[in-house]
Amino acid sequence: MVNFTVDQIRGLMDKVTNIRNMSVIAHVDHGKSTLTDSLVAKAGIISSARAGETRFTDTRQDEQDRCITIKSTAISMYFELDEEQMEDIADKTAGNGFLINLIDSPGHVDFSSEVTAALRVTDGALVVVDTISGVSVQTETVLRQALTELIKPVVMINKVDRALLELQLPKEDLYQTFCRVVENVNVSIATYQDENAMGNLMVSPELGTVAFGSGLHAWGFTLRQFAVRYAKKFGVDRNKMMKKLWGENFFNAKTKKWSSKSSDPMATYNDRGFNMFCLDPIYKIFDATMNGRKNDALELVDKLSVVLTTEERELADKPLLKVIMRKFLPAAEALMEMICIHLPSPVKAQNYRCGGLYEGPMDDECATGIRKCDPNGPLMLYVSKMVPTSDKGRFYAFGRVFSGTVASGQKVRIQGPNYVPGKKEDLHVKSIQRTILMMGRYIEPIENCPAGNIIGLVGVDQYLLKSGTLTTSETAHTMKVMEFSVSPVVQVAVDVKNHQDLPKLVEGLKRLSKSDPCVVCSTSDSGEHIVAGAGELHLEICLKDLEEDHAQVPLKTSDPVVGYRETIQAESSMIALSKSANKHNRIHMIAMPIDEELTKFVEDKKITPRTDAKEMGRILSADFGWDVNDARKIWCFGPNTDGPNFLVDTTKGVQYLNEIKDHCVAGFQWASGEGPCTEEPMRGCRFNITDVTLHADSIHRGASQINGTLRRVVYASAMLARPGIQEPIYLVEIQCPENAMGGIYGVLNRRRGHVFSEEQRPGTPLYNIKAYLPVSESFGFTADLRSNTGGQAFPQSVFDHWQIMSGACNEPGKVFDTVRALRTRKGLNPDIPPLDRYLDKL
Amino acid sequence: MQVVALVSGGKDSSYNMVKCVEDGHEIVALAHIHPPTTAEKDELDSFMYQTVGSSGIKLIAECLSLPLYLQETQGTAITQTLDYQPTENDETEDLFQLLTKVKRQHPDIQGVSVGAIFSRYQANRVQNICDRLGLTMLAYLWQRDQKELLHEMVENGIDAVLIKVAAMGLDRQDLGKTLGQMEPKLLMLEKKYGVHVCGEGGEFETFTLDSPLYKKRIVLDEVDVVVHSDDAFSPVLYLSIKKAHTEPK
Repeated sequence: MVNFTVDQIRGLMDKVTNIRNMSVIAHVDHGKSTLTDSLVAKAGIISSARAGETRFTDTRQDEQDRCITIKSTAISMYFELDEEQMEDIADKTAGNGFLINLIDSPGHVDFSSEVTAALRVTDGALVVVDTISGVSVQTETVLRQALTELIKPVVMINKVDRALLELQLPKEDLYQTFCRVVENVNVSIATYQDENAMGNLMVSPELGTVAFGSGLHAWGFTLRQFAVRYAKKFGVDRNKMMKKLWGENFFNAKTKKWSSKSSDPMATYNDRGFNMFCLDPIYKIFDATMNGRKNDALELVDKLSVVLTTEERELADKPLLKVIMRKFLPAAEALMEMICIHLPSPVKAQNYRCGGLYEGPMDDECATGIRKCDPNGPLMLYVSKMVPTSDKGRFYAFGRVFSGTVASGQKVRIQGPNYVPGKKEDLHVKSIQRTILMMGRYIEPIENCPAGNIIGLVGVDQYLLKSGTLTTSETAHTMKVMEFSVSPVVQVAVDVKNHQDLPKLVEGLKRLSKSDPCVVCSTSDSGEHIVAGAGELHLEICLKDLEEDHAQVPLKTSDPVVGYRETIQAESSMIALSKSANKHNRIHMIAMPIDEELTKFVEDKKITPRTDAKEMGRILSADFGWDVNDARKIWCFGPNTDGPNFLVDTTKGVQYLNEIKDHCVAGFQWASGEGPCTEEPMRGCRFNITDVTLHADSIHRGASQINGTLRRVVYASAMLARPGIQEPIYLVEIQCPENAMGGIYGVLNRRRGHVFSEEQRPGTPLYNIKAYLPVSESFGFTADLRSNTGGQAFPQSVFDHWQIMSGACNEPGKVFDTVRALRTRKGLNPDIPPLDRYLDKL
Repeated sequence: MQVVALVSGGKDSSYNMVKCVEDGHEIVALAHIHPPTTAEKDELDSFMYQTVGSSGIKLIAECLSLPLYLQETQGTAITQTLDYQPTENDETEDLFQLLTKVKRQHPDIQGVSVGAIFSRYQANRVQNICDRLGLTMLAYLWQRDQKELLHEMVENGIDAVLIKVAAMGLDRQDLGKTLGQMEPKLLMLEKKYGVHVCGEGGEFETFTLDSPLYKKRIVLDEVDVVVHSDDAFSPVLYLSIKKAHTEPK
């Protein structure tokens, strides 16, 4: 039952003030997709009766089978507010019809890159939190991501039915549970919000930015609905009423007076406004239907003026409960209302998001177009992900128009992430074949699409790797590249079973890398094809896609392996010296470890190569005890110019030094990207150039002489500084009942994990365990845990930090063995090259 | 004018002689600086002289039918600045002695043929010696674009092979290859690592087997690969010529 047509939607696309682009984000299993279904049911794409059973946005077979969302999916919906609801919208609107573009994103940490891609194209987020589990790791992570992208959040506290049916929580306890969830969400918001750009974003039920309900049963409410209901009944102002319905407001039924204290000790908390006016009717319905008092239930129904059909009156128990609740408090109504009223329109949002979205100057034509969300401005469109089409090997480019209007057949400049204005690299000028609307499983062609809308494009996929900017302006800079919160720490090597299939694998890897924002496909020097992902589940899905869809040839995969980091654990035991190949140039160097805290600073981009030199000097000297002069003489970071290793010039009065700086920087990127012992990237090392002797004539100190020498001297000084290995560690969060804890401890102990926090969730019999687990020990962890706890424990693992392994690479021990194993796997000679390959004598 | 040619055996000194002849000069003698007979290795890592090809230099004189004057290098690079002032025991003074000797034998010599392309360090020193002896330095390759020059040498019949490598991306398999064979790889390495395609700055050295001026050509019969320093990324290796002969063209 589609109750809108493409033409109608196209009409709405022009009314930018009435568009809401939003994503649904949450911890895994908190019920996003089920909730989304009830919204879609309202917008009319699937019939209302099937809401809660079909997960509309889980379009893939494996998503349906596993009951988790893997890829984010977009749907457009249409909703009309009545006049009284329109009064609450502060900004300008055009009519009472709203176009809502919703993106349902995955909750499992392994897929958080999908969330990042979804957030980029939306302005608001519906954060779904499970009443019982509360705010979990992934809730915090996605909230943080949303707030750094300047996305406004509203909250839905979901699965209230479970609190009532399974836990039988009394009203006051339920109220307290809700309070805790709201508080916890606000703690995260307060930490990460940018108050200067967007004002205070804290959510609160009395403002109407928190909804309560059950996605499964398709009911839900905000205080606004009850306030409206009672405002009519009692003849009071609904905004005043709303404030009374939350917090320390108590109603004395006898005196009909409000007070801020629970005055009657006998009545305890039962006369709290929220409990009395909101929870009481719900509790009565649950009580009557679930305890078989059907007549009481039907009486209640009539009293609440809920209209049931004759057939529905025949139902009993749970089905009856569901139908009454759905009609009494339809979830879609409450959520749609909350979304339209509280989430910003593209016009409003792009005004403050522009600075965070655009790389170029804030006063050029593109920035102005974005800030004003101008459909007549130059086209600025950001492609945030690629969606595979039914046509093998082709992709829809999925993105948002931030300025201008995109149309079928339009000629555009396609700028990849490495495009630099004025240069030709990573730039293609091509025509867009078709523009399409993407609605869950269906797509609809559409002629054009103005600024502020989300759109799919056909015919640009082969010019973009994963994401990029489309524009019509010759002077446009690119839009900012998305930063992912997960890093691809788990890798496998893949190979074909039949040798002649190799070209198909290579092609398949290209497609895989396009279709997933986070996966990294590479080929090692020894010719191995490596696929790296965020976790075991992510890799499993990637490999399945690769085998079945992208390459379509039988594959064999190695056991998953972990990426390591090389580091040093002491200062070089002597000053290292390397000579250039022509023997006429010499570089002296000393290596020393950097503080873990400083390393994190760099990794978190709190210090970047673009940090102002004075500011950098101040931070390094004040917080990390560096010599101010050294801090100002950092030549570069590496690898990739922003990695957590420094090359520092500590020489005094060396002639021609500046002429070789570029060669040294290039050599350092290479050296720090492939360390001396295992060719894994280096981390947390500082290399001081202490002295340099150069040939007087520049032709004798060219790039090829200096680059290799710098690389050798970096390796030599690192080998003299107790080289070590860091392994990645997961933070694991497990929720389980008390009796499963023994099993969990057992499994963790066997896998070198350790528990550092164990808390009971207030008001529930569940425990929350947090532990550190080496990524290398995590393969098969989920299955192991399930079998040892009778399926009662479900872990969430997310990369947390790098941990030094005790020992040195060049001394016998566990690290030595790890190094040899790594080298063997990479097809290198298992022995670390002797020091004299890098170190020279004067 | 009458000219003495400084030869190392490599492509540049050979090609500069071709240029001198094209310009109407007459080459009457060859001069070469060689490592001390007591030295263990052919490669001295000298700032001034290429010595790897020394053992084949007599064959080149034979091919050109010209008298060859030799001088053993005694000094080291004492003055390492770009400019040069006469310094006692500096390796540059070896060249002064050599050219003084040549001038005594051939009083009519007015010019010196030098294969320098980009090394101001070397050119300044030769210029200093020439000034002191009243000679004119003839360096036709000076400041020429290296890529263009390499191609021109190959086109104009300079048949030279690599006898030393000391740059990133060059390795054992490149020794003994001709310039023509190496041209594509050198262009690639220039892009990748900034290697100088003509080997300026000591990045590789060559030995000329044939040139338009040669009356005979040289054939290498037996060579050894010597590892000068086994460094990671840019090992330094050279060919030691054990046995070679000339044959008619």
